[in-house]
Amino acid sequence: MQRVSLKIVGAQGQGVNSVGEICAKGLKRAGYCVFGYREYMSLIKGGHSSYQLDVSHEKIESSETLVNILVTFNHHGLEKNVHDVKNGGIIIHQTPQWSFPADVQKTLAKKKITVLELPTDDILKKLKAKPILGNVLITSVVWSLLGRSADGLKELVREQFGHKGEELVQMNFGAIDAGFTFTAASAKGLSVGLPNPDPQWKNQMLLTGSVAMGLGLIHGGCRFYAGYPMTPSSPLLTFIADQQNRTGMVVKQAEDEITAAQMMSGAMFMGTRAATGTSGGGFDLMTETLSLNGIIENPSVFVLAQRPGPATGLPTWTAQGDLLLAIGSAHGEFARCVLSVSDAQDCFDLMPEAFNLAEEFQTPVIVMTDKHTAEALFTQQQYDQSKSAIRRGNLVTDPKQLKKLKAGDRYDPTANDGISARWLPGSDAVTYCAQGDEHDPAGNVNETAQNATAQMKKRMKKMDALKKALPEPELFGSQTPDTLIIGWGSNKGVILDAIKALTPGPSPKGRGGIGYLHYTYLWPMKTEKLEKLMKKTKRTILVECNHHGQLGMVIKMESGIDIKEKILKYDGRPFFYDELHSLLAV
Amino acid sequence: MNDYSCATQCTWCDGCGDYGIWTAMKRALVELGHAPHQVCLCFDVGCHGNGSDKLQGYRFHGLHGRVIPFASGAKLAHHTMPVIAFGGDGASFSEGIGHFVHGIRSNYPITFVLHNNCNYGLTLGQASSLTWQDQPMNSSPNGIPEHTLNSMDLVFALEPTFVARGFSGNIPQLTEIFKTAIQHQKHGFAFVDVLQACPTYNHFATHQYLLERCYDANVEGHDPHCEAQKARALALDTAKRIATGILYQREDVPSFYDRLIPRKDKKTTLVEEVKKVDVVEFMKEFI
Repeated sequence: MQRVSLKIVGAQGQGVNSVGEICAKGLKRAGYCVFGYREYMSLIKGGHSSYQLDVSHEKIESSETLVNILVTFNHHGLEKNVHDVKNGGIIIHQTPQWSFPADVQKTLAKKKITVLELPTDDILKKLKAKPILGNVLITSVVWSLLGRSADGLKELVREQFGHKGEELVQMNFGAIDAGFTFTAASAKGLSVGLPNPDPQWKNQMLLTGSVAMGLGLIHGGCRFYAGYPMTPSSPLLTFIADQQNRTGMVVKQAEDEITAAQMMSGAMFMGTRAATGTSGGGFDLMTETLSLNGIIENPSVFVLAQRPGPATGLPTWTAQGDLLLAIGSAHGEFARCVLSVSDAQDCFDLMPEAFNLAEEFQTPVIVMTDKHTAEALFTQQQYDQSKSAIRRGNLVTDPKQLKKLKAGDRYDPTANDGISARWLPGSDAVTYCAQGDEHDPAGNVNETAQNATAQMKKRMKKMDALKKALPEPELFGSQTPDTLIIGWGSNKGVILDAIKALTPGPSPKGRGGIGYLHYTYLWPMKTEKLEKLMKKTKRTILVECNHHGQLGMVIKMESGIDIKEKILKYDGRPFFYDELHSLLAV
Repeated sequence: MNDYSCATQCTWCDGCGDYGIWTAMKRALVELGHAPHQVCLCFDVGCHGNGSDKLQGYRFHGLHGRVIPFASGAKLAHHTMPVIAFGGDGASFSEGIGHFVHGIRSNYPITFVLHNNCNYGLTLGQASSLTWQDQPMNSSPNGIPEHTLNSMDLVFALEPTFVARGFSGNIPQLTEIFKTAIQHQKHGFAFVDVLQACPTYNHFATHQYLLERCYDANVEGHDPHCEAQKARALALDTAKRIATGILYQREDVPSFYDRLIPRKDKKTTLVEEVKKVDVVEFMKEFI
C-alpha cells in the first residue's frame, strides 16, 4: 500500500487540530482515504499535542511512527519530534533563527530531510493579518507540498468561514496565496508524492469513533443518555448533547457515574431506550448498578471507553486493559453481554445492536471502545440504514395479551431460554416488582433455597441462549491461514493494514498466508471457529494493548487453548503500522 | 384499597411506623384515582424497602441509597406517570446524600417519601446521620462523635419547591400530605419527611415522643406558599413542638423536565418514541 503521512505538532490550543482537520477534509475530498490520530496531554492549554494524518488511495486505518511531513508550531516540536520524519521527508517550522545541534544536523543530512522555516510573522505582518491566520498559512504550505491546488483549499476555507463575511474569506485567500508563493520560492521542486486519487473516497464521511457511536445511538432509537465527563467517553456525551435540540433526546450530565447508570436503568425500566457511557474509573462506580440490572433483568446499555489505568493512569491515552473488568465486574453471577467496537462502521452498527440484545435478553450489555477508536478520525462510507431493525424481544404491548398476563409471568423460571415476558410500567395489566432481592416469579422477596436455585438457573439460561445467538468472530485476510492473528477492538485497523502489506497481491486460493480473527462479541465467548482454525494453523499470535493478554486469558478460560505467542503493548499508544508490520514479519 | 392489596404478609416489627406510611400511601393513591398499573413505586433498601412486595403497582426495589436517580430516570422516560420514591434516613443522608442533594436541586418531577426513623433499622440499629448524639447504638456504643445532621436545614438550602412533614401515627393527615405531594410532581420534586417510630432500635424519638409533639401547622394557619425563610424557621423549630403538614410549596418554578428545551412542545413520552431514526441529515455534515 502506498501511504503518505503528515504530523502537525504544537502546544494545545495553538491550532494543531484545526490545521489537521482542514487537511483531512481537503485530502478526503480530493479522493484519498484519511486516518487521523491525535495525541495530547491531560491539560487544557500548553502541553504538547499532535495531529497525524495517514493518507492513501486505498483503505487505511492506522498511523505510522514516521511521517513524510512534520509541521511544528513551536520549537518544542523541533526538539521532540525531529526524529519522527522519514528519509527524504520535510520539516516545516516557524521558529526564527533555529538551529539544530550538530549531531541532529548530521542525522538530518544523512536522512536527506529538508527543513523549511516559514517566516509566519513577517508574512502575516505584510498581509496585515491576525495571528490566527497562521493556521491557514501553514495549511497552504502543506497543501502545496502535497501537490494540491490553491483552489481546492480556497473552496474549503470559504465553506468554513464564508458565514463570517467576505472580508475574512479574502484575508484567508491572501494567506493561502502567500503559502503557495513561499513553497514555490523556498521549496522549489520539493514535493511529497501522493498516489493517484480514487474518487470513491470523495463522498465518504470523516468522523471519529465517538461521533459514529453517537449516530448509532440516535439511529437505534436511544431517547435518553446520561453520563459524567471522563476522557475518553466525554466526546460521545458532547456529541449527543450537541444534537439534543434536533433529536429531542434527554441528555443528562449527572452528578456522578452512579447517578448516570441509575438514571439510564430507570429510563430503561420504563421502556425507553437509554444508554450511559464512562471510562474505567467511572465504570467501577457503575458496577453495583450493573449487578442490579442483572437480577431485575433490566435491559441496560453501558459504553465503556478504555484508557490506561490503574487509577487516573494515562487519562488521554489508549488501552485495552478493561476486558476482564467488563466481563467480571459487579458482584454475583448474572447474564451479561460484552462487545467491542473497532472502527467507524461497527461504532455505528453495534449501538442499535446493543439495545436489541439488551431488550431481547433482558440483561446488561457493555459496549467497549477505547481512546484510539473514540478519537481517531475515520474515512467512512455513509451508513446503509436499511440493515438495522429494532428488536424488542419478549416485550408484551398488545392489550389483549397484556390482560392475560399473570404477575408470575415476569420472572417465570420455566420460560423458554429463561427469557420471560416483559411488560412496561403503565401497561394496563397485572403489576409486578422489579426486585433487587432474590425474588419469586412475581418479584416478591423469596429466600428459599428452591426458589434461589430456580431463579439463578432461569437467568443463566439466558447466557446459553445469548451465546447461541451471537455471531462467531470474523476472519479477515486468508480464509485458510498458516498464521492466525487474534485480536479485538481498535487493533483491527492496524492489523488489517499490516497483513495486507505482508500478503501482497490477491489472497492465495490455496492454503497459507495470514488471517486475522477479530472478536467483536467478547462475552459470552464463542470459540468454535477459533478451535477449528487453530487445528490447521502453524502459528497463532495474540495482539492486544494490555499487559495480561486479557483476550487470551478469556479464550483459555473458555476453550482451554493457551495462545503462547503474544504481541502486547501497554504504553498508552496504539500499535503503529510500521511497528506491527515489523513485529509480525519476524 | 383492595386493588392495592397483596397476599404477601408484612414483616415489619410490631409498632413500626412503616405500617402507617404504607397505609396512608395506598389510601392517597386510591383517593387520587390512580389504579395500581398507573403508578410507579420505587423503593430504596432498608426496612421500608421490605414493603416493595406488600402492595400492588409497578414497583422497583433497588440499591441502598440510589433510589432517587433511578426514579428520576424512570420519570423522565415516562413523564406523565406518577413516580414515587421511598428511602430511609440512612440511605438518603449517608450513602445517597449526593443523589438527595441533586434530586432537590434538579427539581425532578417525582415525590420522595423519607422514612425517617433516625437509624439503620434493617442492619440492626446502627446510627444514621440523623441519630441524636449521646444515644448508644449498635457499632456506636458511646454514641456518635459526629454532629447530628440538620436535615431540614439542608433541604431548605437546596431551594426546594415542596417540603412537607408527616407523622406515621397520623394516617389521615399523612394521606392528605401524600396526595398533595403526588400532585406536586407536575411542578417538581416533592419532599415528604415522615417521622416514624422504630420501636426496636430508636429509644429516643419514640412513637409517644412524636405523638406528644407533632401538630398540624396548616390547621394552625401556616400557609405553605409563604417565604422560604419562614417555612425554614418553622421546620427547624422542633425544640418543643414539631410542625407537620405542608410546610412549603411553590408552583412557579418549572420542573427539570419542563426546563428541557429539546422536550418543548413534545406530546409524547420517551417511552413512546423508541423507533429507528433516519440519520441521513446528520451524515451530510461529515462529508
